[in-house]
Amino acid sequence: MAVVAGVVLALLLSAALLQGATNPWQGLFSATKGAQIWLRLAPGTDVTALRSRVPAITAVAGPYHAAAATVAQDKARQPAELRASGQQPPVIGRPLMEAGHWLTRAQPRGVVLEASFAQALHATDGSLLKLDNLDGIAVARVRVIGVAATSDQGFYPDQTPGLIWVLPGVLRQVEPVSGDTYDVVGLQISDPAATPPVIQQVVTQLSSSAVEDVSTWQQVKQSMARRDPLLGLVLALFGLVALGAAMLAIINATSGRVLVQRADLGMLQTIGFTPGQVMTMLVAEHAVLGLAGLVAGLGGARLLAPLLLGEVPGVSAGAATLPLGWSVLIAGGIEGAVILATAVPGWRAGRVWPVAAVRPLPPQGHLSTLARAAMASRLPPAIVLGTRAAFVRRLPALLTIGGLAVPMIMITIGLGFWSTLDQVQRHPAEIGLVAGLTASPGGLTEPGSWRLVRRDPEVAAAYRSVQVTALLPSETTTVTTLGMGTSAHPYPFRVVQGRLYHAPEEAVATQGLLDVLGVHVGELVQMPFGGILVTFRIVGRIIDPQYDGQVLAYGRDTLADEGAAAPPVFYSLILRRGVSPAAAQAWLRRHSGGRLDVSQVVNPADQLGVVRVMIAGVILVLALIGLTNLITASLVGLRDHLRDVRVLHAMGLTPMQVLASLVARTSVLALVAVTIGVSLGLAACSGLINLAARLYGLGAGIGSPPGTLTLAIAVALAVVIAGLTAVVPARRYAGAPSGAVLGT
Amino acid sequence: MPLLALLAKEPAHGYELKMLLEQIFGEAYPSPNIGQIYVTLQRLERNGLVRSQDVVQQTRPNKRVYELTDAGREALANWVDRPSDGPRIRDDFFMKLALSPLAGATDRLALINRQRRNYLNQIRSLSSLASVTEPGIGRLLIEGAMLHLQADLDWLERCQEELV
Amino acid sequence: MIRSVPRVSADQHGADQHGASHGQTLLLRASSITKTFRADGTAVSAVRGVDLMLGHGEFAAIMGPSGSGKSTLLHLLGGLERPTSGEIWLNGRRVDGLSQAKWAVLRRQHIGFVFQFFNLVSNMTVADNVELAALMGGATKRQARERRDELLADLGLSAKADAAPARLSGGEQQRVALARAMVNRPSLLLADEPTGNLDSSGSQSVLRLLTRAHADGQAILLVTHDARVASAAERVISLFDGMIADDAAMRPPRAKPSQRRPAPLPTVLRLRG
Repeated sequence: MAVVAGVVLALLLSAALLQGATNPWQGLFSATKGAQIWLRLAPGTDVTALRSRVPAITAVAGPYHAAAATVAQDKARQPAELRASGQQPPVIGRPLMEAGHWLTRAQPRGVVLEASFAQALHATDGSLLKLDNLDGIAVARVRVIGVAATSDQGFYPDQTPGLIWVLPGVLRQVEPVSGDTYDVVGLQISDPAATPPVIQQVVTQLSSSAVEDVSTWQQVKQSMARRDPLLGLVLALFGLVALGAAMLAIINATSGRVLVQRADLGMLQTIGFTPGQVMTMLVAEHAVLGLAGLVAGLGGARLLAPLLLGEVPGVSAGAATLPLGWSVLIAGGIEGAVILATAVPGWRAGRVWPVAAVRPLPPQGHLSTLARAAMASRLPPAIVLGTRAAFVRRLPALLTIGGLAVPMIMITIGLGFWSTLDQVQRHPAEIGLVAGLTASPGGLTEPGSWRLVRRDPEVAAAYRSVQVTALLPSETTTVTTLGMGTSAHPYPFRVVQGRLYHAPEEAVATQGLLDVLGVHVGELVQMPFGGILVTFRIVGRIIDPQYDGQVLAYGRDTLADEGAAAPPVFYSLILRRGVSPAAAQAWLRRHSGGRLDVSQVVNPADQLGVVRVMIAGVILVLALIGLTNLITASLVGLRDHLRDVRVLHAMGLTPMQVLASLVARTSVLALVAVTIGVSLGLAACSGLINLAARLYGLGAGIGSPPGTLTLAIAVALAVVIAGLTAVVPARRYAGAPSGAVLGT
Repeated sequence: MPLLALLAKEPAHGYELKMLLEQIFGEAYPSPNIGQIYVTLQRLERNGLVRSQDVVQQTRPNKRVYELTDAGREALANWVDRPSDGPRIRDDFFMKLALSPLAGATDRLALINRQRRNYLNQIRSLSSLASVTEPGIGRLLIEGAMLHLQADLDWLERCQEELV
Repeated sequence: MIRSVPRVSADQHGADQHGASHGQTLLLRASSITKTFRADGTAVSAVRGVDLMLGHGEFAAIMGPSGSGKSTLLHLLGGLERPTSGEIWLNGRRVDGLSQAKWAVLRRQHIGFVFQFFNLVSNMTVADNVELAALMGGATKRQARERRDELLADLGLSAKADAAPARLSGGEQQRVALARAMVNRPSLLLADEPTGNLDSSGSQSVLRLLTRAHADGQAILLVTHDARVASAAERVISLFDGMIADDAAMRPPRAKPSQRRPAPLPTVLRLRG
């Protein structure tokens, strides 16, 4: 039962995490007690009668005064909505604090930023912001005292403006003219599916001139959905396989228990229960235990989810509620597995004649030639006996090996993904992010900025580059092409096949582009550049995650040669090893007086942090499943083993050796399973990673298998744990010499 | 024989002997009537194992007090030391066991051990006899005897537990 | 009403003599062996000061009521338990303080032990059990195979050699167990109620095996409550309450009575009537 509870707990937590990763809206909405409809109304609109006039509305949030403003940050100007709120956060649509604290009169200039907005601004708790009003005049300096998540609107910058909660005083300071403010009202309705009719009614009630804008929960949810369906797909796949493996493990464990109970079942028949009754009793007993485990697991998950998942970066605390759909699937799957696992042996147990069951026959086997040779060759007898004993019961041995190998395969793959992510994060150049910064002249002259960037001591190399959009030959889509460096000094792309361009009209391309164009390395393509057709020979395949993975790169001189117009130049700056992009960026900003436009190159791996957590969670679940199989094998093995303890002792094995043979029994199975699992996993690993990268547009070649040390540790851990699962239940019996224990 | 043992402790007259028998054996042993006792005593006297004396009493009729002779003591010792045999084994042996402290003869453990060795040796001879006997009635008879002996041995263990 | 039983020393010559100890010619010598079990704060003395001597090739049986400590004594002599105090000498070598590992080695080659049940490894065939014991005793594969076949043929169990132990009758299992115990020709064979679980025919076949082994020179010390088995021994030791109460040499059997001159019928068999 504990096993079921543990597995369910792990699965549910993973599901919550999965949901949080793919679309946090649901969790956020429940956690914040969100409103399904948000209205922007003319200032002073009376909404008190809404509730009584529109019965579908169950609660009204606000009205909150709000005004538009701009956050001025360096050269960037981000649109914001300042929403006035009191010292108590709103009841409906209550923002979930992620950092800092809510508004308080003790800090009249304190504001709370919405989470995605804060991220876009690179603002944290304690940052200073300059607010301009709509006319562009700086009107206030505020300090961020908190960051919160909300389900009122979608993530910035998908949905603008960014949301800032302020005290009424700040709002008045920014926008003293009340006519330029507006009211924000949230509506909670009884039937979320019936949103449009409700909006209809509301607009009628309030008169259309009062309603300036409406947003619905469907829009918000849509905008919060992650862009990459691939991630969701991969994670869902992992989840399903984990669920399947979990079901198998539960089946294994339950059958093991039933096996142990067989003598009792036979006894029941002897007393007078019919086979049908025996089977029903058995199934009922285990189903109830399974349910109990389920409930325990559910309860545990509800308790632990907010605690554990709230700490996970990249997943907002709103994801900390359990997704309904997955929960039902998991509960149903596990309970079904339990029932199935008991029904089959239960039916068989009912059919067996009582006598045969009451005195269950031990497994029958041989001392194989191999074992004989091993014994004769003075190998430790404990190991030999234990090993052969492991395989006496053929089917359970195979099941155990399978039940361990499959999770091990997936764990290996998971570790591979992890190490690849690790690689990518630490060595962005591996996936083609060779440059740390890009800069454009901005307010400086081109030669001047060129000199400046080369002067930066933290810049190792700088390449003048241009970006030209070309229309594809089929003329339906455009493709980004880059002239990076020159043919004499080409930009050091990450080449995985062929070579870099060394002459005009030579180019390299990413896998994505090659697929779109339908060409291979070594072939020719023609690209129109503003009316001029340029022919390139593809001399190499590169990896570059930017531009949707479809990019063609060549030397700038090719364009000049062809007489194409020179587009604006930007600089790709490769930093010295170990230099943080932020530091180099700061240097450049300082020395250019802020006029040089410098930005960091975004590493997509940074946003995949949640994937790591997912992987860790899945590995844990799989390890648990493997453990279940091990425990089952140990218990069955122990039962068989106890029968023979005294004889082995009398034959001349010490108690330690007898215990060692028991440990060997399980450890050998574990070793075989883990070896199979790791080998198959490694084999599949690179293939899968390459597949994923290909789908991402990165193309093959970034796969990084898990390190040998990691794998060795995993294997050793598995074998040790296997040994422990054998030793711990056996300790009660192994210590006492055989005479006193089993009845004299 | 039991009377000899009783007398070994101290001389007594017939009625006292009857009381003693009833006291020691209780309900299990059918209490002989006083006449049987006197008859046995006279027989013993005839055989020279006991002698009698008349004791004069003032208020009552004279009573006859019996005591062991040397011959009687010797007979008693022989009886105790000899392993019991014959169909009434148990009663005979049990008598010895029960009365030996009065006889002051030997300790009970040695008694039991002696009897046990006897039984074991009997089983042994019966075993070898059975090995040369054809299966049939004869063999069955032997096996029956051995089973009885086994039961006796078990009973010896019980005696040992209780009385030693 | 149990008085303390006077300690009786059991030696080769039986009766109650305290013979001089012949350390070198004795196979087994145990002096003042005690074993006390402690459980939940109470102490139970199973064996209280036993002296026992066994010569080479001697066949002795230990009898006694249940709780007398006879099984414990046997386990002590076989190294399956450690005595609380006392000394045990096997073949002139002091063994009571040996570690588990050294006892295990002893048991492979010099001591054979047979229990009342659970005597065979259940997940191997009968023949494998015997062979395993041989292999553990240090025989080569060929030697082990030969010895196994020899013993099984002796026992008349060659036909069932490949059967699982659970398929044999009780008597057959015990005979196989004895074969297993004797496959390495141990100096000492210890058996704890070898016929305890068996019916009369099973007991008889085991008994025949034991007497034959004894005739071949095997020293046997067994615990039994079956008088017939005990009487087959040369010596019967009675254990009571953890101490030896008696040690009796059996009368050597009379010369086998021939058919022509039948032996006199023992008194017990005379029919009355």
